[in-house]
Amino acid sequence: MQSGALTGERDVREAYAAHSGELYGFAMRSLGDSGLAEEAVQETFLRAWRAGDRFDPQIGSLRTWLFAILRNVVIDLGRARAARPRVAEGGIEPSVEPLEEALLAWQVEEAMRRIGEDHRRVLVETHYRGRPYAEVAEELGVPEGTVKSRVYYGLRALRVVLEEMGYED
Amino acid sequence: MKTEHCRNRRESLGAYALGHLSAEERAGLEAHLEGCPGCRAEVDSLAGVALLLAHGNPANFGPAPKPSPELGKRIEATIGAERRSNRRRVRRRRFALALSGATAVAAVVLTVVVLSGDGEGVPQQRVEFAALPAGVDMAATLEPHAYGTEIHMYVSGMRSGTLCRVFLRGANGATVPAGTFRYRWGDDSRAVLSSALDLSRTEAIGVRAGGRTFFAPVDRGAAATDNRTEEDPT
Repeated sequence: MQSGALTGERDVREAYAAHSGELYGFAMRSLGDSGLAEEAVQETFLRAWRAGDRFDPQIGSLRTWLFAILRNVVIDLGRARAARPRVAEGGIEPSVEPLEEALLAWQVEEAMRRIGEDHRRVLVETHYRGRPYAEVAEELGVPEGTVKSRVYYGLRALRVVLEEMGYED
Repeated sequence: MKTEHCRNRRESLGAYALGHLSAEERAGLEAHLEGCPGCRAEVDSLAGVALLLAHGNPANFGPAPKPSPELGKRIEATIGAERRSNRRRVRRRRFALALSGATAVAAVVLTVVVLSGDGEGVPQQRVEFAALPAGVDMAATLEPHAYGTEIHMYVSGMRSGTLCRVFLRGANGATVPAGTFRYRWGDDSRAVLSSALDLSRTEAIGVRAGGRTFFAPVDRGAAATDNRTEEDPT
């Protein structure tokens, strides 16, 4: 049994502490139902534990491996759900986009959550809402040049966070 | 002078990569990029991220939803239960038991062979454990001594490395340990053990191995023939 294998109950506990939040976030985003999302996370760790000795940290990170398993679990759950439609709770719309797109979207959203509030704010206002820099600058009470530089540093921060999450150009 | 100029330009690169600049600003910046490899490389490194932004939905930038606090415990419990049931299954498979535990004990067949003494002029007796898992053989020879009983265990067919714990059960139901040994595959081992319980008071020999206990009754009459001096506790 190689080191790093996810075979002991303690390994599972550590992996859960490190990655369950992200896994749940993605499951929630693609399934749109907290009960189903928890089911997906539980099934993911169960499958990971069953196949624990096949996990090789030399090949990829634990996080990537868990996401790959979750991806399959979500597909399975999605199929099961197609047979018995359920109502989404908490006002979150079930996602209808293909899984790869959902994973990409979730990664961008998670990266956005991880960068600083100042950076996120200017990116949302200027890019997503398409507002003029001068208007955003006035609202924030900072010079326009500051908004511009925050957009620049925000984009850089986003890049660093996405790279940490495994994104490659 | 040039670096100062560059830094001012550089802070526009984000807006440029996102396509936020006016045509005029863009033309000015592109003129700079033409002669500045550093800024060009920086634009390239932001281009991919700038494209990715379109995949995110700002409605989802808020705090991430969290699973219920019990989820972790639930997962641990599920894995624990599966692990335990796996262990039981492995054990069952390993021994390929044909009979349930209760039947196994009830079905023990006793073979008593009174052997000639080994020089001390005392009878030995050989007992065999029947109703063993398929492929497993287990027998014992018991020999009375002043200190108690000497036991020769013969075992074959178990999983190599199986720990066997041997004990004698007295007529009064109390058990007295006789020691442990580990069965090694290919060894078809005989282990020599001893117990403080006198053979004339021994009702059965038990072997605990692989989570199961196997018994073979002992014929006290056979052992007691030469031990008449010992007071029968019954």
